[in-house]
Amino acid sequence: MAVDDLSLLINEGEIFGIIGPNGAGKTTTVECISGLRVPDSGSVSIYGLSPHRDRNRIRKFLGVQLQESSMPPRLKVGEAVDLFASFYPNPVDPKGLLETLGIGNIKDSMYKKLSGGQKQRLSIALALVGNPKIAILDELTTGLDPEARRETWALIESVRDLGVTVILVTHFMDEAERLCDRIALINHGKLRVLDTPEAIAAMAGGNRVRFVPSKPVDDKTLYAILGVNQIERKERYITVTGIGDLAASVINSLAKAGVSVSEIEARTGNLDDAFVKLTRDETSDASGVPPQ
Amino acid sequence: MTSASAESRETKPRGHFSELLMVEGKLALREPVGLFTGIGVPTILLVVFGLIGVANPGNVPGTSYSVIELYVPTLMVIGFILLGIYILPIAMVKYREIGWLRRVSVTPEPPSRLLAAQLIINLVLAMAAVLIIMLGSELIFGASLDVGIPYFVLSVVLSISVIFSLGLLVAALVPSQSVASGASGGLIFLLFFLAGLWVPPATVGGPLATIMYYSPSGAAAQALLNSSFNTAPPTTAIVTMAAYTVVFVFVAIRYFRWE
Repeated sequence: MAVDDLSLLINEGEIFGIIGPNGAGKTTTVECISGLRVPDSGSVSIYGLSPHRDRNRIRKFLGVQLQESSMPPRLKVGEAVDLFASFYPNPVDPKGLLETLGIGNIKDSMYKKLSGGQKQRLSIALALVGNPKIAILDELTTGLDPEARRETWALIESVRDLGVTVILVTHFMDEAERLCDRIALINHGKLRVLDTPEAIAAMAGGNRVRFVPSKPVDDKTLYAILGVNQIERKERYITVTGIGDLAASVINSLAKAGVSVSEIEARTGNLDDAFVKLTRDETSDASGVPPQ
Repeated sequence: MTSASAESRETKPRGHFSELLMVEGKLALREPVGLFTGIGVPTILLVVFGLIGVANPGNVPGTSYSVIELYVPTLMVIGFILLGIYILPIAMVKYREIGWLRRVSVTPEPPSRLLAAQLIINLVLAMAAVLIIMLGSELIFGASLDVGIPYFVLSVVLSISVIFSLGLLVAALVPSQSVASGASGGLIFLLFFLAGLWVPPATVGGPLATIMYYSPSGAAAQALLNSSFNTAPPTTAIVTMAAYTVVFVFVAIRYFRWE
């Protein structure tokens, strides 16, 4: 079973991220939302409509970008966008959309001649040309170079600013952290966490400071420092993890104990750490109680 | 949410099948393998059998037809087979394999329209093949056809129906393009044989002729032969084609997968 007992409430006008390791059930979840898959049990409701029963009505305001979907090799970019525009009752201007996406200059190129980034932009164009209220984007920036990724992110933000609800499936943590208003972390088909990127990042155990003390310090002294939760030692380095302004409290407290510190490296907790921690917690905790 | 009211107003989709048909038509012209296979191959065979007929004037022994007259219906059926069993299913399987049917299925447009457009394009090509073979055989190679229009139309419609529905069945059952090429290739030669490309059923006789007459392509060739000379096609041929069509369409719909 790819997804089990998963409940989500997505708000209108937000960028909602769905993250999780490969095979976690991300794509299955959005397939249920887009009506490509009928759930065995449970229900999906979009503006009070069911993707399965009311598919004809929902499809008019739902834009979908599918992972690993290709197009006829000799179809031209402009033709594809015009064709999809003809499918929808109130499409946006296809020409303007291609300009916005930076592929207006290749509208006469065939699909098979496009680069990976251009294919991805065309795929985004097809998801947006119907003027959707909800856009589901699956692995949006996979295969894009760093510059194109940043441009795509800016585009997604401008789409959200137009009032479109964006459901973003990704396995890039920087993408989720940058774009999403809220994130659902899915693993083994279950919802692990649903919160803002900042709140999830804080679950990684917060901040981390690595330093070299001028003379040996025992654990007791370190644990006495305000905010320190965890200590790791490696060669001459000590790494402490905790919350608050860790670097400052380490320096001050150790100075009082007559220890000076050098080679300080401080890092704030991020979504990457949280992701690794939350997905790892689960493998060691077979009972699968979601961390809160 | 208040914005749902905008959706509850039933917005009629625009009349856009023409747009889809036009795009599919352009794609067919850009990849002219369908044109070449469905029309070019029967045309080449028309020339080959036309020249054989010129070299061997008079009626084929045991029949009242000249060589080219005997082969006119077989060549038409060959055109239908190439379009219906090869071009059509491979186009459909390709659209399924690359995820195009799936992509279209999340738009308001039913993906069946893509298949309908493919069907229409191949029907147009089949009609063109019929015209080329009839006009070419009469004007260039001196066949004296005596087409009974109602019989001939009925025979063409049923022949295309039985062969194209078999093609739909292939599209429904094969999982990938490579399997489709293999399956279609084998099936094509079997159907060519049954339609009388190597030996016309009129000249073989015996149980083999019976098998040919009761096969989809053999029945088609027989009905087309009779109606090309203003004779009613045999009821057995009509019933055979209609029955196969019903079965093929039923099974194809039952097993067709969109992804």
